[in-house]
Amino acid sequence: MLRNYFKTAWKNLVSNKVYSIINISGLSIGLACCMLIILYNKDEVSFDRFHENAENIYRIVNTSYAEDGKAEGFNAVTGMMPGPSFKRSVPEVKDFVRVQEQDFTVKIGTKIFDQKAIYVDDNFFNVFSFPLISGNKTNALRDIYSVVLNEETAKKFFGASLSAMGRVIELPTGKEGAFENFTVTGIVPQSPQNSSIKLQMVLPIKLNMRSGLADNQWINFYLNTFVVLRPGADIKNVADKFRQVYKREAAEQIKEIKEKYDMKSTFEYGLQPLLDIHLSTKFAAMNGLQDGSNPIYSKILGGIAFFMLLIASINFINLTVARSLKRAKEIGVRKVVGGGRKQLIIQFLGESFILSFFSFVLAILLVLLVMPLFNSLSNKMLSFSYLLDTTLIAGYIALFVVTSLLAGFYPAIVLSGFNPVQTLYNRMPLSDKNYLSKGLVVLQFTLTTFLIIGTITIYLQFNYLANFNLGYNDKNLVAVATDQMKAGKVELFRQQLLQDPAINSVAVKNRWNWNTGAKVDGNDISFRIQVVDSSYFPVLQIPIVKGRNFSSAFPSDSTQSVLVNEAFVRKAGWKDISGKQVDFFYDSLKYNVIGVVKDYHYASLMEKIKPELFIMHPKYDYGLLLIKIKPANTSATLQHIEKVFKALMPFIPYQYDFKDAQNIRQYAAEEKWKQIILFAAILTIFISCIGLFGLATLAAEKRTKEIGIRKVLGASVASIAGTLSNSFVKLVLIAALIAFPAANFAIKKWMENYPYQVEINLWIFLFAGFVVLVIALATVSFQAIKAALANPVKSLRTE
Amino acid sequence: MLLQLNKIFKWVNVGGSRTFLLRDINLTVQQGEFISIMGPSGSGKSTLLHIIGMLDDADEGEYVFADQNVFKLKEKQRSQLYKQHIGFVFQAYHLIDELTVYENIETPLIYQDMKGSERKAVVADILDRFGIVGKKDLFPSQLSGGQQQLVGIARALASNPKVILADEPTGNLNSKQGEEIMELFKKLNKEDGVTIIQVTHSEKNASYGSRTIHLLDGRVDQIVNS
Repeated sequence: MLRNYFKTAWKNLVSNKVYSIINISGLSIGLACCMLIILYNKDEVSFDRFHENAENIYRIVNTSYAEDGKAEGFNAVTGMMPGPSFKRSVPEVKDFVRVQEQDFTVKIGTKIFDQKAIYVDDNFFNVFSFPLISGNKTNALRDIYSVVLNEETAKKFFGASLSAMGRVIELPTGKEGAFENFTVTGIVPQSPQNSSIKLQMVLPIKLNMRSGLADNQWINFYLNTFVVLRPGADIKNVADKFRQVYKREAAEQIKEIKEKYDMKSTFEYGLQPLLDIHLSTKFAAMNGLQDGSNPIYSKILGGIAFFMLLIASINFINLTVARSLKRAKEIGVRKVVGGGRKQLIIQFLGESFILSFFSFVLAILLVLLVMPLFNSLSNKMLSFSYLLDTTLIAGYIALFVVTSLLAGFYPAIVLSGFNPVQTLYNRMPLSDKNYLSKGLVVLQFTLTTFLIIGTITIYLQFNYLANFNLGYNDKNLVAVATDQMKAGKVELFRQQLLQDPAINSVAVKNRWNWNTGAKVDGNDISFRIQVVDSSYFPVLQIPIVKGRNFSSAFPSDSTQSVLVNEAFVRKAGWKDISGKQVDFFYDSLKYNVIGVVKDYHYASLMEKIKPELFIMHPKYDYGLLLIKIKPANTSATLQHIEKVFKALMPFIPYQYDFKDAQNIRQYAAEEKWKQIILFAAILTIFISCIGLFGLATLAAEKRTKEIGIRKVLGASVASIAGTLSNSFVKLVLIAALIAFPAANFAIKKWMENYPYQVEINLWIFLFAGFVVLVIALATVSFQAIKAALANPVKSLRTE
Repeated sequence: MLLQLNKIFKWVNVGGSRTFLLRDINLTVQQGEFISIMGPSGSGKSTLLHIIGMLDDADEGEYVFADQNVFKLKEKQRSQLYKQHIGFVFQAYHLIDELTVYENIETPLIYQDMKGSERKAVVADILDRFGIVGKKDLFPSQLSGGQQQLVGIARALASNPKVILADEPTGNLNSKQGEEIMELFKKLNKEDGVTIIQVTHSEKNASYGSRTIHLLDGRVDQIVNS
């Protein structure tokens, strides 16, 4: 019996190639999308699970509360203190390990490398399940001058990872940056892709704590502290104990800080499970922990994949039901020769299973094909081996069964319900009132329109951000990060750089931005501090709207003067800056405000312009050169910059970047989403349109007789094509009307992420509607015109 | 007695008025009879045949088939009864285009849940009886009309039914092919004892039967025994 069903199903697939191709291609695209997203999600939730102890490892986190009790800051990091203190006083804490990131300049012989590293406590390899290829996990980091490398880093340093054990590298960890020798005591393989900690170079954290630098501050946040709890420990209870320990041990310090800095916030220590870190937006992966993600990506991608599969299933349902007219005779015959309804349902479900199976196989091939593209879009390193996992295979089988049932069940019910007398005697009611089928088409095109509007919006927003007038000129501006340097060294750089006539001017600023606070007119104000000199504003072409720039004519500028931006003035509530001062009370320093610069966006456009203060006090260091060059012959100019740099800072790796390119890179996420949504929109349009094409073909076939009669009565080709297209066009218009408000809502939600938003006009919606309409019309009219051109004699004779 | 129709009425409601397709049909058919139903277009011939064949219900009346009250049976029992005892032959043959001759004949046996080996034997036997062994792997479109109808009858006989219902079985055939089909019916009726009820327009075809029922406007006009 099954063989017979299979045979008929197969023959049906083969003899109706167009429908089979439409269904299989649509379903396989939908399934492939789902498979990729399942892979993606699997990878997301599998982060850090490979650690044997994962369930018992927590990170110490810290929340700060404002005076009114509102949480105002979430610190995923701590200082050195909490780890050892909690272990001492809380019995549930079995162990702790700290992880801190640092960039190093590595010297090996005459070669210089720039290398990311982490400092860890020497029990690191006992707490986390990172295997060592060579070396001993218990004492690899016992010696203060030991270092563990991963294979790749070892290869980079020594050419081969195997011979690296016992070799020596030099790091600038001594007094005033003197190089010291470190011995390689362990080699680890490349860390798994789903690990928040990715080992490249590992150093003992003791190194960072010698020379009296030991940090005993509780209010200090710069490294990850992990604790291992005893199995079965009650987290709430442990957190309570943390609070008590903090209250007891930090009381003295807090009192002192409150008095000195006028600090009003309060702090509270807590715990975050290791397994939550990857997808946490509150306590994110940072400072040695990488690849933190936002769960919203999983949701958006999941939504897209689901819609894609839904649209493909709708194609299947609509085409199968529409085609049933052609199969009515077969169904009638089967019933007359004794086929029961149940048997027929099984037969039709079987057909949908066979079709799904082909789609499924094709989908797997598609997944393999697009995996590299998907990886680059989603920042993942997924591979085929990921597919060979029992839960995933079970998931895929479930997907297969659900798809087959979803697509096959309704048609099976409808088709098996045909009355054989009606079908065999051509008395099938040819009613056009298939609301379900029409509703499904509307649903398809609603989604299509929605995605097109989404694509256009993301595209516009991206362009808007990329072409935003930043308030300064970032063209032909080369940014070069340097070691910390004072004004004297900057002058040396400037003189040597300007020897190349292709270099117009050189500005300098601090490398790392930070925020601080001070008092103006007796009130607290917080702002971002920028360490610059008098060259900064002219080189970046930032206008000074009030007062004056720093000037060598006023020698006291370097120690007594600051400039501020307009946002600062607004925040301070000033009308005029004359006689205004900024009081850094905790340093007992006061500065005169000598000028106001126009607001400009040095930071990403993801944030509003913040109050900024520009200072050139010698106690601050510079760390970033901004070099304005002539656009012609840039490579020669860059070579000159590199030569000067290497001469002046031989032990610092040279890296340059064009500021305008750097600015664009800030919107890499938008760029990615732009591409992902564009792909999704194209695929959705494609699947929807092949479905529509199939429906139009069937509709034309169904109306062959009507078209014949109309032609005999003198209807023109155009009017017939119009009649046939009309009903579909109406559906697309309804779809557009439903999609508009939905898209509008989604856009508003999405735009909330952006302080600077492109204006969304009605024309975007109209344009999207128009595009969908044109595509749908082109799809439908092809069939309509073909039907209208057919010879009526032929079509009427077949009746 | 094979089957009996008592006071069968069937109607459709068109607009506000009721149009009768069949009125007060009473008919008893004995095992082994060969009955022809005649009448002008729209007289209710096919409708009557469909009711006898359990493809359609009457609105009033009683239908007893093999001692069972058909209208009172549950769907499942009725389907069982139908599968075992009734074979249909159509004017337009109604073979499944996607299946070969062999597979077409096999289909009803599949729905009777017959085992594969048994099925093979039955189909082989029928192919042999009808002399179409050589054509078993052909598709319906590769056959002439007469051959297709032959397959149609073979299929109807595959499940070894008590009665064959034929709706203008020769309507699409030329006279020679038609004659062959009628001879086949006669042979089946005489030699195998299969009851045959056919709807026909042709007096000549009707004359093959033992009894002819003339319908007019849904009523039995006259019954002629030959």
